[in-house]
Amino acid sequence: MGILLFISVLLIAACGLIYELIAGTLASYLLGDSVLQFSTIIGCYLFAMGIGSALTRYIHRGLAYRFVWIELMLGVIGGFSSALLFLAFAYSQGFQLIMYALVMVIGVLVGLEIPILMRIVKERYAFRDVVAHVLTFDYLGALGASLLFPILLVPYLGLVRSAMLFGLINVGVALWSTFLFAKQLPAARGLRIACVLVICGLAVGMAQAKRITTAAEDNIYADEIIFARDTRYQHIVLTRFKDDIRLFLNSHLQFSSRDEYRYHEALIHPGLSAVPTPRRVLVLGGGDGLAVREILKYPQVESVTLVDLDPEMTRLFTTHPMLTALNQKSFQNSRVHIINADAFPWVDSNSDSFDFIVVDFPDPTNYSLGKLYTTAFYKAAARHLSAQGLMVVQSTSPMFARDSYWCIVETLKQAGLKTYPYHVYVPSFGEWGFVIASGHEYLPPASLPAGLRFVSVDGLPTLFQFPPDMSPMNMPPNRLNDQVLVRAYDQDWKDISH
Amino acid sequence: MKVSRRKFLQAGSAVLVGLSVKGARSISGSFVNDSFQLGHQLRDRGSFPTVRRTERHAVVIVGGGIAGLSAAWRLNKHGFHDFVLLEMNEQLGGNSRWGQNEITAYPWAAHYVPVPGPKATYVRELFAELGVLKNGEWEERYLCFAPQERLYLYGRWQDGIEPAVGLSADDRDQFKRLEDFIHQFRATGGFTIPMERGLSSSQTDLDRISFEEWLRQRGMSSRVLHWYMNYCCRDDYGALAADTSAWAGIHYFASREPEEKGPLTWPEGNGWIVKRLLERVESFVRTGATVHRIEQRKNDLSVYSGDTEYRAQFVIFAAPTFLAPYLTEGMAPLPDFEYSPWLTANLTLDRLPANYGTDIPWDNVVMNSPTLGYVDARHQTVQSHVERTVWTFYWALAEGAPAENRKLLLEKDWGYWKEAILHDLERVHPDIRQCVSRIDMMRFGHAMARPKRGAIFSEERRRLAKLEGRLLFANSDLSGLSIFEEAQYRGVRAAEKALEMLAR
Repeated sequence: MGILLFISVLLIAACGLIYELIAGTLASYLLGDSVLQFSTIIGCYLFAMGIGSALTRYIHRGLAYRFVWIELMLGVIGGFSSALLFLAFAYSQGFQLIMYALVMVIGVLVGLEIPILMRIVKERYAFRDVVAHVLTFDYLGALGASLLFPILLVPYLGLVRSAMLFGLINVGVALWSTFLFAKQLPAARGLRIACVLVICGLAVGMAQAKRITTAAEDNIYADEIIFARDTRYQHIVLTRFKDDIRLFLNSHLQFSSRDEYRYHEALIHPGLSAVPTPRRVLVLGGGDGLAVREILKYPQVESVTLVDLDPEMTRLFTTHPMLTALNQKSFQNSRVHIINADAFPWVDSNSDSFDFIVVDFPDPTNYSLGKLYTTAFYKAAARHLSAQGLMVVQSTSPMFARDSYWCIVETLKQAGLKTYPYHVYVPSFGEWGFVIASGHEYLPPASLPAGLRFVSVDGLPTLFQFPPDMSPMNMPPNRLNDQVLVRAYDQDWKDISH
Repeated sequence: MKVSRRKFLQAGSAVLVGLSVKGARSISGSFVNDSFQLGHQLRDRGSFPTVRRTERHAVVIVGGGIAGLSAAWRLNKHGFHDFVLLEMNEQLGGNSRWGQNEITAYPWAAHYVPVPGPKATYVRELFAELGVLKNGEWEERYLCFAPQERLYLYGRWQDGIEPAVGLSADDRDQFKRLEDFIHQFRATGGFTIPMERGLSSSQTDLDRISFEEWLRQRGMSSRVLHWYMNYCCRDDYGALAADTSAWAGIHYFASREPEEKGPLTWPEGNGWIVKRLLERVESFVRTGATVHRIEQRKNDLSVYSGDTEYRAQFVIFAAPTFLAPYLTEGMAPLPDFEYSPWLTANLTLDRLPANYGTDIPWDNVVMNSPTLGYVDARHQTVQSHVERTVWTFYWALAEGAPAENRKLLLEKDWGYWKEAILHDLERVHPDIRQCVSRIDMMRFGHAMARPKRGAIFSEERRRLAKLEGRLLFANSDLSGLSIFEEAQYRGVRAAEKALEMLAR
């Protein structure tokens, strides 16, 4: 019996430490500042263990019975602790209160375990041996747990299931103890039934762990996540709330299906309708196929070449039914040719000419993306314009990022192009800006494709008027060796959020 | 219950062994293109073949680095074709040699040229010819992309290499005062590139003391400031501030005030310029042609390489000047010419370190490291997404005597330097060993001129720089500064001089 007993010590020590590590890790994940979280949680937990140990002096009889109950309670509370904390973060305001309360309760229970166990076995061994053996296995268990946790548990099981696994171990120890201490337990049968019930509960919990975390994450994101994937290039998330589908790339909103028509009609038609005979169109970026959908409204267009970096993105918008409904299967159209490539090197190495070029990249949030907004890039892109050709550039918000917007306009000018800046209101984005750029004079079109919901011939001239709060700023151009745009963009958004 | 100690230990060690076995990633590589042996053969006057052939040329250029190639460029540009360039290595370029692998081209040493000021007329002329300077504007793609450089200090990266965070009020004051001094020196117009155009005897005193002494004499003793000054001297001269002439330390700062944010750089560093020069003069070049003797006579010279005697009216000696006494009969040694040993390494990264991010500068320096940090060879790509790259790692062995460091460089094997480099990088990229698949290294025994005290106003230097007689010296070490602009200037001047004399 000896070795079995000491294995119990090892296991329960491991369980105790795992609950503590889980609370610390979860708090660090969700709240940040891991130093603060781990310090306060370890402190609380050790303090609670002290309380538990102190409390044992008031326990006089029924030691084995109480030990089994403590293990059972730890199995339940510890086992569900992680799931409970996830849900608490998603659904309640008092996450920290709940977390520290939970840590305290677990700490007290863990504090009770070892002193009680030592008293149970003290009759069998010399005091010297009890202390030595119990503490040896206690610390050994702690070592095992602290190694298992980062190496195996977190990567392979995740936090919710790790907690439940160790809850199962606690209950296992409880069940096993009913046999180990059978002599001291007259009512062992009832205890065993309780153990089996808790084991079932935890087993179901483990099987359903994914649902628990999904439910919690859904609540964090506000809308239901219908797709999430880390590709080689970016993190793609699609959310849905009723009929509103939203696309986020690296947490930046790309469109909302409720108002994207405003953005994409404004991106395409003021320019494309002004090209006398548009045959060949180039889209740089725009892997959602929504700009292409607008371009396909022109029967004269013979071919649309779309260059987007991420094959997962274009595949998603070619195959996902909800998304092909949005882009009207534009990527399946025989006029459309998809090329998955880095835009700048592609523009450098290709020599085709186009009647209309759409430049629709993510905002210049870093220097890598900023390269796609430089004089060098616009010069390279403009080499692909045919004699009648026009280029349109998505150029952030002239309202929220006014310096950035006018910096892009200046950059296009320095690249030797005539510029025609305009803006529209897209509810989910706010005021949004575009620039038409060309080697020749641009005149707004006199007619547009039928069936547009936002852009109209009468409304067009107003798009090119900028009220005083969005009027031109004096900005230097963005160049590869001096990316003023990335710094301006960063500053613009800092100013908004303060 | 008793767990036997032996069993416990057995089980325990099995667990520990299991945990410590990590996918040990092997890193390959070697020293490349060492010219130590050839050099030592020259020094020790080893035996060389007897003459079997004789070629006659008006001009023979010895050395195919920037100075030699620039001389060739100049001669060729004047429509003068009666010359030959002899290079010891198989590859041209000297300190501007480059390499190429499946990921990118990369430099072996010199990797940039600061945007040249108005006085560097030959550099501007060359760059205009190469399309780097067009209608008064610098080609955007050749200017170093943003962000340019960063420094790791106090556990974080800051923008720029001059320390800007964690400075005390006193530190700031000293940086400010140094800036004021530099400003005054710049205003004198005496610190120019090429250096010869500004040099005046009023600066003699500055060459008599070390840069470190000069700083201390003016009450500038801030540790951070001295770190930065030492970094600059190591970077440009391979020497500490205490071993650098104050004139040279000041020249580093006072000679440049570019009108454009630079510098000019290419994936293969200044190898890009070498390639362009070679396109123009390749037919005059002989590689693997080690010169082992030069004989001066009254009306001509003989240059011996392999079994060939090249008879010339003028020899442009563009190889490091200290070699000349070993090759030339009756020429005394040149103690004023001292050189710093360097190690450079190119690291192939199959993936980028986890903490790499998207906005990585070109030049990355770690404060208080004995090395000079690394430069990303793919920085000048227009791609927005990069997964693999090559870093060029620079290490000037500056501390201590150059001769001792040269010995160290030769004695220690590749594995020693590999570990030293990885240890240095691990401070800032803990997972570097998981990223690197190959480290190739080049050892330069005499990489660059070391402008020690007195080197600039040295009689010896000034005498050889005068371009007198038939042996015309053209290496950048005649400026005391191993920089591209000086090498090109001396090469061009030597060519002009030869043409002028031949026309007489």
